[in-house]
Amino acid sequence: MNAYRIMIIEDDVTIQTQLKTLFTGNGYEVCAVTDFSEIIGQVKAFLPHLVLLDIRLPGNSGFDLCSQIRAISDLPIVFVTGSNTDMDELNSIMLGGDAFIIKPYNPAILLARIASLLRRAYPSGKEDVLVWKEAALHLASSSIEYHGQKAELTKNELKILCYLFQHAGTICARNDIVDFLWDNRLYIDDNALSVNMTRIRGKLETIGLTGFIRTKHRQGYIV
Amino acid sequence: MSGKRYLKHMLPVLLIHLTGMSALILFLTAVGNPVSVGLFVSGVWIAVLIVYSAVCYLARKKRLDRLLDMTEQLEERYLLPEVMDVPKRAEEEVYWRLLKMAGKSMLEKTGEVRREQNEYREYIEQWIHEVKTPVTAMKLLCENNALPCSRELSSQLEQISRLTEQVLYYARSNHAEKDYFIREIRLSDVVHAAIADNRSLLRQNNVSIEAELPDHTVYTDDKWVRFILNQLIGNSIKYHARQPALRFFTVEENGQVLLSVEDNGIGIPQSDLPRIFEKGFTGRNGRTVPSATGIGLYLCRRLCEKLGIGLSAYSNGTGTTMTLSFHINDFITGVQG
Repeated sequence: MNAYRIMIIEDDVTIQTQLKTLFTGNGYEVCAVTDFSEIIGQVKAFLPHLVLLDIRLPGNSGFDLCSQIRAISDLPIVFVTGSNTDMDELNSIMLGGDAFIIKPYNPAILLARIASLLRRAYPSGKEDVLVWKEAALHLASSSIEYHGQKAELTKNELKILCYLFQHAGTICARNDIVDFLWDNRLYIDDNALSVNMTRIRGKLETIGLTGFIRTKHRQGYIV
Repeated sequence: MSGKRYLKHMLPVLLIHLTGMSALILFLTAVGNPVSVGLFVSGVWIAVLIVYSAVCYLARKKRLDRLLDMTEQLEERYLLPEVMDVPKRAEEEVYWRLLKMAGKSMLEKTGEVRREQNEYREYIEQWIHEVKTPVTAMKLLCENNALPCSRELSSQLEQISRLTEQVLYYARSNHAEKDYFIREIRLSDVVHAAIADNRSLLRQNNVSIEAELPDHTVYTDDKWVRFILNQLIGNSIKYHARQPALRFFTVEENGQVLLSVEDNGIGIPQSDLPRIFEKGFTGRNGRTVPSATGIGLYLCRRLCEKLGIGLSAYSNGTGTTMTLSFHINDFITGVQG
C-alpha cells in the first residue's frame, strides 16, 4: 500500500523534526518545509495528501498559504497554532481549513484527527480488516475470524486487539495499550485490562486460536 | 441644599440689613419722626427682604436639585461638566471650569492606565502563545522517545498547560465578550477532549473515569467549556482521596442540560461551600494543599457568567459534585426547525 504523504509547514525546528519522527513512525511519508520562501512550489512538487500548517510563519501567514493551496487543490489542510483566538479559528474555517488544532496538542489525538481526515478525503472502498497469522480482525463489524469461525467482540476487546494487530510481532506494553484505549475514549485501568485480556483469550479459544496472544513477563503482550 | 444651611450662609448679609435697619430707625427718630414711622419702614424692608431671599433660595434649590438628578442619571458621571448648562454667575463659572479641568486630567490618567493594562494583557497573551511552542515540542519529544520518565514528564506538561491556560483566561476574562464563538457542540466531545488534555495526570494518579454521556448538544463556546472542565478535573486530582474516581454525567430537566463532574475526593467543608467561587478564597482545603491559589474556580464562575452557564457546587464530605447547567435554547432550535 502506498503511504499517505504529509507536508509539515512549521517553523519551529524541534517541533518540525519531532513531527517528522512521529509521522514516519506511524507509516506516513513526510516532507517538512525548511525553506519558507517558495512553499507553493514545494507543495506542487511533493503533492501531499494532507498539509499541516502553522499560522505564524516567517514571511508568510498560514492563512495566505491556505488560500493559495486551496486555489490549486482540495487536499485536507490542518491548522496548528498556539493562539486560540476565535478570529483565527473563524479565519481558518472561512479559508477552507479542515481542522483547527491548538497547541499544545496531544500527539495521539493529532494522529487520530489526521487519520480520520485522510480516511474521509480518500475513501479506500475496502472494509477495514487487519490480518495477522490468518486471523482477520473486522473493525466495522467488531469481530474476529479464524478459519471460517467468528467471534463477536465488545468495544474494549476490539480496541485492544486492534492495537495488538497494528503492532503485530512486537511487544506491546500494558501502559501503551491503556494509553491507546484512553485515546479512543475507553477509560479502563490496569485491572480492567487484565480482565479484558482473559475474556479475549477465552473468545479466541472458542474459534480455535489458542496461544495467539502471548504474555511477556513484566513487558506486555505480543501476537 | 437645605434652607437652614442657606440661612447660615446668608447670615452676614442679614446682619448688615439689621444693622442698617437699626441705624435708619435711630436716624429717623433722631430727626424728630415718631418711632412708628421707623418701624413701618423697617417692616416694609423686612418683607421685601424675606420675599427676595425666598425667591432666590427656591430658584437656586431648583437648579441644584436638577443638577443632582442629572448626575445621578448619568452613567459616566465625570461627563457632567459637558452636559450641564454653563453657569452664568462668575463664581459658579469658575467652579465649572475647575470641574472640567479635574475631569480632563482624570480621563488622561485613566486612559494611560488603560493603555498600559492593555499592553500588558497583549504581552501576556502573546507570551502564552509563545510558551505553547516549547510545551508542544516537549510533548512530542516525550511521545517519540520512550524514556523511563516520559510519563511523569507528560503529566507535568499537562499541569503547565493548565496553569498557562489559567493565566490566559484570567487576562482575557475582562473583555471576554469579544472572544467567544457560540456554536452547536456535543457535550460528550468537550468532556472527552478535557479528559484527553489530562490523560497522563489522570493515569498517573490512577483515577478511574466514568463518562457515559448521551448525545446532548448545547449552544456554547467549546474552548471555554473545555477550559472550565480542565480546571474542575485539575481540582479533583489535586484534592483526591484514596482510589480516586471521577464521574461525568448529564441530566436533562426543565429545559436545561446539567453536566456534572463528580469526584470522591476530600470534599469541601459546608462552611466553605458558599465562598469557593470567590477570588483568592482557598478555605480549609487550601491550607492542606499548598498550591491552592483561589483563582481556578473564581475564573470558572466568571466565564460561566459571561457565557450564561449556571455553575454550582455540592459536597457532602466525601467528594464534590460540580454542575454546569446549559440552557437548551428553544429559539435557535425553533428557527432551525
